[in-house]
Amino acid sequence: MPERRLHAVAPLGELPPGSRKIVDVDGRSIGLFNVHGQIIAVLNVCPHELAPVCLGRWSGTTTPAPPGQFNWGREGEILRCPWHGWEFDLLSGDCLTDRRRLRRFPTRVADGQVYVDLSPGARA
Amino acid sequence: MGMIVDTDVHCGVSKQRMLDFLPEPWRTRVADGSDGPGHLGYWNPNGVNRRDAVTPDGRRIEGDPQTLAQYHFDHYNIDYGILNAGGVHVGLSPEPDFAAAYCSAMNDVYVNDWLTADERFRYSMIVSPADPALAAGEIHRLGDHPGVVQVLMPSGAQYGYGHRFYHPIYEAAEAQGLPVAIHPGSEGRGVSGAPSSAGYPGSYFEWHSNLVGSYIAHMISLVAEGVFNKYPGLKFVLIEGGVSWLPPVLWRLDKNWKSLRMTVPWLDRPPGEIACEHILLTTQPIEEPDNIAWLHAMLGMFPADRMLMFSTDFPHWDGDTPDFAMRLLPAHLRDAVMWETACRLYRLPVPEHA
Repeated sequence: MPERRLHAVAPLGELPPGSRKIVDVDGRSIGLFNVHGQIIAVLNVCPHELAPVCLGRWSGTTTPAPPGQFNWGREGEILRCPWHGWEFDLLSGDCLTDRRRLRRFPTRVADGQVYVDLSPGARA
Repeated sequence: MGMIVDTDVHCGVSKQRMLDFLPEPWRTRVADGSDGPGHLGYWNPNGVNRRDAVTPDGRRIEGDPQTLAQYHFDHYNIDYGILNAGGVHVGLSPEPDFAAAYCSAMNDVYVNDWLTADERFRYSMIVSPADPALAAGEIHRLGDHPGVVQVLMPSGAQYGYGHRFYHPIYEAAEAQGLPVAIHPGSEGRGVSGAPSSAGYPGSYFEWHSNLVGSYIAHMISLVAEGVFNKYPGLKFVLIEGGVSWLPPVLWRLDKNWKSLRMTVPWLDRPPGEIACEHILLTTQPIEEPDNIAWLHAMLGMFPADRMLMFSTDFPHWDGDTPDFAMRLLPAHLRDAVMWETACRLYRLPVPEHA
């Protein structure tokens, strides 16, 4: 069984709901997002052109609707890459318009500390 | 065996015959010689109609149904032909009531004189997009006629044809089960504005080469503004607008959608897919690259087997004959392009031997 590589990355108190933090772990830039109380860790590399995706706009988006209608939803769940605007669902890692997905890592919170699991093959 | 369906044929309708169906005051107006929006007067030294398209006794082949049937349909073994009235350009008139009356009279000439003359003839009824409510009324007036298989509008336009202003036309066409088509030639006429997105071309050569621009704009508009979401049964035919531009425009649509989907949330799947399900194109004037393999490669980059239909544009100067088109097409697409797709779209009876 491979050694689990759990890294303490931030005190939970620094990541209240709706906030984000970019941390450097083992030479990798990782974005931490508190989405509705859940900590999501995302490799800060867009699967499209390798942009620093975690620096993009983080908000909601327009949900599917008939022509001429604009419904806003998924507030706090959608990350837009700053380079081309690809929209990613932080809760699943899926892109809304492409097969390529965010690389996410498992997280856990213990004793007020956020840990990210960078073990080989670990997937959120 | 196979068949040939010519999806773009033009006829000559005399002004005198038009007057028989035009109500006043338009009859007086047209009889006086005022028959629509002017054009820019570019010089095509070939003329619009082929000089040689005359019978041995000197009559224009497109001038009456019998000679058209004999010298075009019989000569090329054409099983069906879609007659597209040149009068469609009146749709760029700034006078919507005149334009609508003119279209109705033209439609009446075709229904009375041409559809009755030969069972191979089918007709694209023309409407003026200047007043979509009037256009919709005309579509319902004639849409049940078995020989009327399509609604035709000019490709010159005030807005991209996806604009909601035009939606009543699509609602009526979908309800009647008719595809909507556009035909070039009116770019720059009437209220259509400059004929290219870069303004006014300086020659007929430049104007004609630019026609693909309005086709690209209309296709993008139709998809982007959700026409096919709103009217899922609608098919839209791009007549004589070129073919080879299509694949890269589809790629560009899909790429941009990945970045900008948020602004068009009704597009819930790649827009290129939507375009390929609803758009059809006619072949003439098919591009002729030096290397035929490039044309064949291009035809593999979109579902040409269900989007592309053969057309001659007879008797215009830049037409393609059936045998010429067949030689250019790869063998696996010949049946689909020459007749199968058109028979399906226009619900043309296919004899068992075909």
